[in-house]
Amino acid sequence: MFHQTHTRCIVFAISMLGLALYVILGGFFAGEIVVKIAVLAIIAISIDVVAGFGGMVSLCHGAIMGLSAYTYGVLTVKFGVPALPASIAAIGVAATFGTMIGWVTGRTSGIFFIMATLAFGQMAYTLIFKSRWLGGDDGMGGLPRFDASDFGLDMNNTVTFAFYAIAGIVVCYAAAGCVLRSAFGRTLAGIHTNEARMKAFGVNTILHRARAMGFSSLLSGVAGIIAAQHTQYISPELLFWTVSGEALIVVILGGLGTLTGPVIGAMAFVLLKHQISSLTDYWHIVIGLLLILIVVSGGRGLFGQYEHWRSTHTQKTAKTNYA
Amino acid sequence: MLEVRNLSKSFGGLTVAKDISLNIKLGERRVILGPNGAGKTTLFNLLVGELTPTSGDILIDGKSVMRLSVNERARHGLSRSYQKNNLFENLTVRENLMLAAAAGQDKTTWMMKDCFNDPAVHEIVADVAERVALADIIDKPVRSATYGNRRQLEVGLALATKPRILLMDEPTSGVGPAMIDGFHQLLQSLPRDLTIGIIEHDLDLAFDIADRITVLNFGEVVFEGTPAETRGDSTVRDIYLGDWQINA
Repeated sequence: MFHQTHTRCIVFAISMLGLALYVILGGFFAGEIVVKIAVLAIIAISIDVVAGFGGMVSLCHGAIMGLSAYTYGVLTVKFGVPALPASIAAIGVAATFGTMIGWVTGRTSGIFFIMATLAFGQMAYTLIFKSRWLGGDDGMGGLPRFDASDFGLDMNNTVTFAFYAIAGIVVCYAAAGCVLRSAFGRTLAGIHTNEARMKAFGVNTILHRARAMGFSSLLSGVAGIIAAQHTQYISPELLFWTVSGEALIVVILGGLGTLTGPVIGAMAFVLLKHQISSLTDYWHIVIGLLLILIVVSGGRGLFGQYEHWRSTHTQKTAKTNYA
Repeated sequence: MLEVRNLSKSFGGLTVAKDISLNIKLGERRVILGPNGAGKTTLFNLLVGELTPTSGDILIDGKSVMRLSVNERARHGLSRSYQKNNLFENLTVRENLMLAAAAGQDKTTWMMKDCFNDPAVHEIVADVAERVALADIIDKPVRSATYGNRRQLEVGLALATKPRILLMDEPTSGVGPAMIDGFHQLLQSLPRDLTIGIIEHDLDLAFDIADRITVLNFGEVVFEGTPAETRGDSTVRDIYLGDWQINA
């Protein structure tokens, strides 16, 4: 069951402030890094909603993000639709696709769910990869960013765009937090814990899980828009299953089922990747070793481990005071 | 209210329910008796849809529910408790009850509102916690609750959905005399328009609470009648009660 604790709120707020400061002080390079963190953090949040709270470990969220990016690209580049309605439509397509996957895979669980989502994701990847109209493996360029000149903002400015990406994390985190604390989120957590009993209570668990996939995909859709606007170019690589795999690693790195953890995981992953890759080409090994360490030490992730340490410490202090 | 017509269930060559017919009226309290392996839990599993019968029909309010899933039957007012505790171990007693109450109130799909803050849900949870005597430990995690408390919660969860038909599978199994008394009081406190089916091994309790008794043996209904008729029936005594002496 999700609890938006003070610790989670404070750590999240500090993280966002840290990213903002990094952008302000770090200039162009920092802005680019922060946008990468934002895209990864939003996909990680969306995966945490279904995997951490619904027990649905998905390997298709990269494809859903890519589908959103491609819908945005097609509508803006090929049909000249303005960026805002194109974004809304793209997020809608992502949510619909996710709901459909959730509905079809709702009767499966565990390894079968993972494989089914992998199959859906790879089908979407292959279709786009093979489509000459969509640019095939060459991808599609010339995607516009939002025009915020009415508000005095230049979205082509790296710092402004980085702040827009940070706002994207905050909105997605808040939306996920609200939904997880709603009746919908409580029921999802109940289904994760004891699906048979929830059915006996009268809950259509398949439909509920499909809706959860839909909501989670909506968030991934937002990541897709930010990713597409960032590079203003999209390619089928966005949909490849390794994107989902990387996001899943980020969730585990930060702390599955904590919501704040995936954000911390995305920050740690991108920053480590950039720091270590400047020293060696084998940065994967360092991330891999860190991941093994986390899994072996209880699988709570960086933030999850911190929460665990805090709760243990609080209990010990309470016992000492009582004694 | 709840009617079963010629219900059968086979697993390959093994028949676990054979041509079972029952008619439980509105507000009736029906006790299902039978030795181990008689098919009592199987009958409940068939009624709620957790098992699909080989043949036969199940009707609620005269309408067949055979094509309905477990959750759809629950939404028709059918609720059950389990022989083996089937709880949300990592949640508190209150959260367990709230999940059941919210589902019973059809408040599971709100995305901007928390069912755990809903006054109607709170009212049901407080009422049920009081009835099943769990009010004192309501904020304790289930994993730290005693076996007896878990059995109480098992019944509480079934009650919290506000059912019209309540099926309880050995609600007092493994608990002491004090809790059996508590359960007796709980049954007396429940509204008389609630239709109840109970699988019960405590014979004193069974005879005391039943309006009618159905006895199963090897998946078949071998007897149905009032408690007084059951006491006097020699077949029932032979297959189920053995040398058990009636205190009445």
